[in-house]
Amino acid sequence: MSDIATTHATKGTIGENASRPDGGPKVRGEFAFSGDLWADGMLWGRTLRSPHPAARIIAIDIAAALRIPGVHAVVTAADLPASVNYGLEWRDQPVFATDVVRYVGEPVAAVAADHPEAARQACEAIDVQYEPQVPLLDPAEAAAAPPIHPDGNVFRQLTIRTGDPSARGPIVVEGAYEVGMQDQAFMGPEAGLAIPADDGGIDLIVSTQWLHNDRLQVAECLGLAPEKVRLSLGGVGGAFGAREDVSLQIHACLLAQRTARPIKIVYSREESFLGHVHRHPARIWMRHSAEADGRLVSFEARILLDGGAYRSSSYHVVANATCFSAGPYKVENALAEGIGVRTNNPPCGAMRGFGAVQVCFAHEAQMDKLAEACGVDPVEIRLRNALATGDRLLTGQVIEGTLPVARVIREAAALPLPPSPEIADPMTRPGGAGRTADAAHVRRGIGFAVGFKNLMYAEGYMDGSAARCRLSDGLATVTCAAAEVGQGFVTLAQQIARTVLGVEDVLLAPADTSIGSAGSSSASRQTWMSGGAVEKACQAVRAALLQHVADRHGIDPAQLTITDGRVTSTDARDSIDLAVADAAPGVVFEEEVEYHHRITHPLDDDGQGDAHVSLVCAAHRAVVDVDPDLGLIRVVQVATAQDVGRALNPLQVLGQIEGGIAQGLGLATMEELTLRNGRILNPSFTDYLIPTALDMPEVLATLVEEPEPGAPFGAKGVGEPPTISSTPAIVAALRAATGKALNRVPVRPQDIALGDGE
Amino acid sequence: MKEFGYERPAHPTDALAMIAGVAGARFLGGGTNLVDLMKLGVETPAVLIDVTALPYDFVTDDADGGLRVGSGTRNSDLAAHLAVRRRYPALAQAVLAGASGQLRNMATVGGNLLQRTRCPYFQDVTKPCNKRVPDSGCPARDGEHHNLAILGGSDLCIATNPSDMAVALAAFDAVVFVEEPAGPRAVPIADFYRLPADEPQRETTLEPGALITAVALPALPWAANSRYRKARERASYSFAIGSVAVALDVADGMVRDVRIALGAVAPIPWRAYRAEQSLRGQPATEVAFREAADAELEWAQPLRDNRYKVPLVRNLMVRTLIELVQAS
Ligand SMILES: Cc1cc2nc3c(=O)[nH]c(=O)nc-3n(C[C@H](O)[C@H](O)[C@H](O)COP(=O)(O)OP(=O)(O)OC[C@H]3O[C@@H](n4cnc5c(N)ncnc54)[C@H](O)[C@@H]3O)c2cc1C
Ligand code: SF4
Repeated sequence: MSDIATTHATKGTIGENASRPDGGPKVRGEFAFSGDLWADGMLWGRTLRSPHPAARIIAIDIAAALRIPGVHAVVTAADLPASVNYGLEWRDQPVFATDVVRYVGEPVAAVAADHPEAARQACEAIDVQYEPQVPLLDPAEAAAAPPIHPDGNVFRQLTIRTGDPSARGPIVVEGAYEVGMQDQAFMGPEAGLAIPADDGGIDLIVSTQWLHNDRLQVAECLGLAPEKVRLSLGGVGGAFGAREDVSLQIHACLLAQRTARPIKIVYSREESFLGHVHRHPARIWMRHSAEADGRLVSFEARILLDGGAYRSSSYHVVANATCFSAGPYKVENALAEGIGVRTNNPPCGAMRGFGAVQVCFAHEAQMDKLAEACGVDPVEIRLRNALATGDRLLTGQVIEGTLPVARVIREAAALPLPPSPEIADPMTRPGGAGRTADAAHVRRGIGFAVGFKNLMYAEGYMDGSAARCRLSDGLATVTCAAAEVGQGFVTLAQQIARTVLGVEDVLLAPADTSIGSAGSSSASRQTWMSGGAVEKACQAVRAALLQHVADRHGIDPAQLTITDGRVTSTDARDSIDLAVADAAPGVVFEEEVEYHHRITHPLDDDGQGDAHVSLVCAAHRAVVDVDPDLGLIRVVQVATAQDVGRALNPLQVLGQIEGGIAQGLGLATMEELTLRNGRILNPSFTDYLIPTALDMPEVLATLVEEPEPGAPFGAKGVGEPPTISSTPAIVAALRAATGKALNRVPVRPQDIALGDGE
Repeated sequence: MKEFGYERPAHPTDALAMIAGVAGARFLGGGTNLVDLMKLGVETPAVLIDVTALPYDFVTDDADGGLRVGSGTRNSDLAAHLAVRRRYPALAQAVLAGASGQLRNMATVGGNLLQRTRCPYFQDVTKPCNKRVPDSGCPARDGEHHNLAILGGSDLCIATNPSDMAVALAAFDAVVFVEEPAGPRAVPIADFYRLPADEPQRETTLEPGALITAVALPALPWAANSRYRKARERASYSFAIGSVAVALDVADGMVRDVRIALGAVAPIPWRAYRAEQSLRGQPATEVAFREAADAELEWAQPLRDNRYKVPLVRNLMVRTLIELVQAS
């Protein structure tokens, strides 16, 4: 456990609702997002993308584009000086397509011009001769189809086998489920500014989730040493996984290198939808068997994930979907088979919940079916099967940390229910502002769901984060490359420094590559990993400060402590009592550290192994009103209890919970990228619907605090759980209200009641 | 977006001269639809003639007891106008049910009338679409058509008109005033829009270069008992999947007169004449309302994914009629 010197005099420490340093500027509209970047003499970059899901490129003629006034460069794959492929985990994606294109939106060329319009005209003037091929669009056919990429069509096939999967209890339930393609739909589109440097290197300011991984990929493709590529974080307008993969980074840097001018690229909304990965659409089959009392006997699952054209993080999404496919329940006998395949659909990768979302929709529907088949209450059946510390996962791993599944279920179920539809505000009825539904026609349903997943990367990945702390005359400066993508890491870094050092003034240096990697702002890992690194760096500085004071007073530093912002001695005879700011006038203490979590291991051929660092769970209860005649839905309330380990900033945790529920509600009732022939038909916020403020339900949340051993301050990541089980809870409530099976999300008005009409 | 010229004349004669003078010139209202389509490459005007400086931002009383709304009136102002809210409440409700506050502040009455369909293929220049490129085909019929027409479509096109406002205008028999190269003309709304038939690219009966100047709402005292209801896929800020504007005149439990128009079900705001016909002189009961709705929807030709619209608008119609009975 961390040594926490809780200081009451110091404001804004751990456990408080410290306010975000970026909050004020964001609310006032003063925060500089990466789309606001500007440099004198800069050119505008633009990407030409494939209109075909599958085609051979016969020829690319850039001559006409180069003749357009104001155009400074046109680059294609032939202009790449070094590596021609990139990829988050595996370099299988061409920076620019060469002989073939594999999805609609794949970059083929990029241009730089002195005006965005000239850049657009140049893209239009590039003559690409395509020979369209028959695209591979059905993921179910992908594994057996001729390979559409030298690496084959299967990203990963994972089988988890434990106990005797043929064992059967007397009660058997089975179902097939589908999850549509959700987009992260962040507000701030991809944007960056690449500036050529005098040393032949490049400075790139960009909105991303992982500066160092971007840097590596840029350096490889530009043939530069990594130190020559310096990244700093531009203001990020949301990420949710979609900024883990490189988008415009390499294009902008290549154009900057080519033109010796700063290059700015900002995606339009449409290009943003084409230019980042999405949540994997899934087809899932599950069969559960149980004793008459509902205790699980066996579990079988087959999970098919469409990874689209390139690998991105599909390999690990398959692992997560398969490892957590049974949900947070005890089951001795299981066979879970997950496969992620390559198709000519848009690439899919990381999105909040990372594989756990898709399977949670399925396993929670199954648990409800089981409850019904056994005649047991849905909450009760979950309690009877709840995993707990000491139990084993499907992968055989024994849960060593906290995992209060039963407690989150009980606490969520105990939260108060909303008033009945008759007395509710008409604005909160189905149809919202249109006041379309009247109370007499409204049917109410209540649904319950539980989800879990791992925190941090898994399967033996050596994860780490670096941080530096500097203290001089009471002013602490913390440096860490962790990307603030809206989650509030910047607040936590300050809170941690205040807590450890007993100072209130904590400056955060810009996140950039001048320090070691902090890893990605994903997998609910930054609070733990970079929080841990910041804590460790601050601890080191604190030790140095105390050593300094001890030396001056000729005492043992072990006798010194920092309490209430003051350095004092535990030995009353020493009478040392100094404000931290005055404890070492003029002396600068600076320490840089790296933090690592405990080692994990790969999964074996039966999918067994200690692959995960830590687990987290949450339960959601949704109350929905449905107007079945009109197919209208209103999610009235979502009550949740979430396992947070320890809430370092309860208000920020609540922010994550509310945002995650909004995203879960979106997947449940409206968010889907509609594809036809591999092309996204609704790449705009007019046509890709995300919940508005009026769609948001009342949110009640209980934070369940059972500190996680080994985690800095006992805190778990909190970003993902709200998205995982909110979707199935809402759909369960819709099923309760309508009696419909609803095996696919998002649920559309036509699924609710109107069905086939006549 | 392609480069374009921009003019903002203050006099209608200048506007008309400009549009006649330049090939590819287009009028620009609030720009909330046209500019979006320009970004998508669906529209590529050579010159935009901004009509918002023309003297068309007004709502005035007509001598016959009706209202006249200038074509430059912003949607927000129309919806907020007291006379509109009192005398034609369904119109105010329809406008308010559309888009968002910011968009309504920009959007004009003229532009709203001429906004284009939301059919995804129409908006995607890489796809065939008979409306955008005549004779190129209609992928919607076998493709994504969950929000396309169940009434009035043709083999060539099943697009829906997305306007909420126009549905209320159809119910109230509004008249659209236009200036055409041949001179001014008053076009009843029933003659304003065209069904696609074999020319889906022609959506209205206007001559090229026509300037909409105003819309008249004829006097209709019982229009005060009217209502607009809209079903959509989220609580605000989205297009209708089905909507209805109804005005009802009941006395002694009998329907004296009724106006019903349907939205998001046809290529035009769909006036439900058959339903109206079957209701006049009938008792104002749920049974009669259902029969009336069926009389209209009997003619529906739903496709695979838009069948739900049939019961949806039927239920909307019936419910709105019942509400109006209760309100009178
Ligand atoms: C996100 C979003 C959501 C929306 N949701 C809805 C909705 O729910 N319901 C709904 O009904 N609408 C909705 N809309 C559409 C909106 O109502 C229209 O875009 C708007 O009414 C168009 O008005 P405008 O003045 O901006 O037209 P413009 O875009 O300026 O013009 C549209 C067309 O009208 C022509 N035009 C404009 N004025 C005149 C004139 N005086 N004479 C002749 N021609 C003219 C233009 O040449 C152009 O062809 C939505 C739009 C968006 C972007
Ligand atoms: S329905 Fe009409 S607008 Fe849509 S694709 Fe077919 S022709 Fe084009």
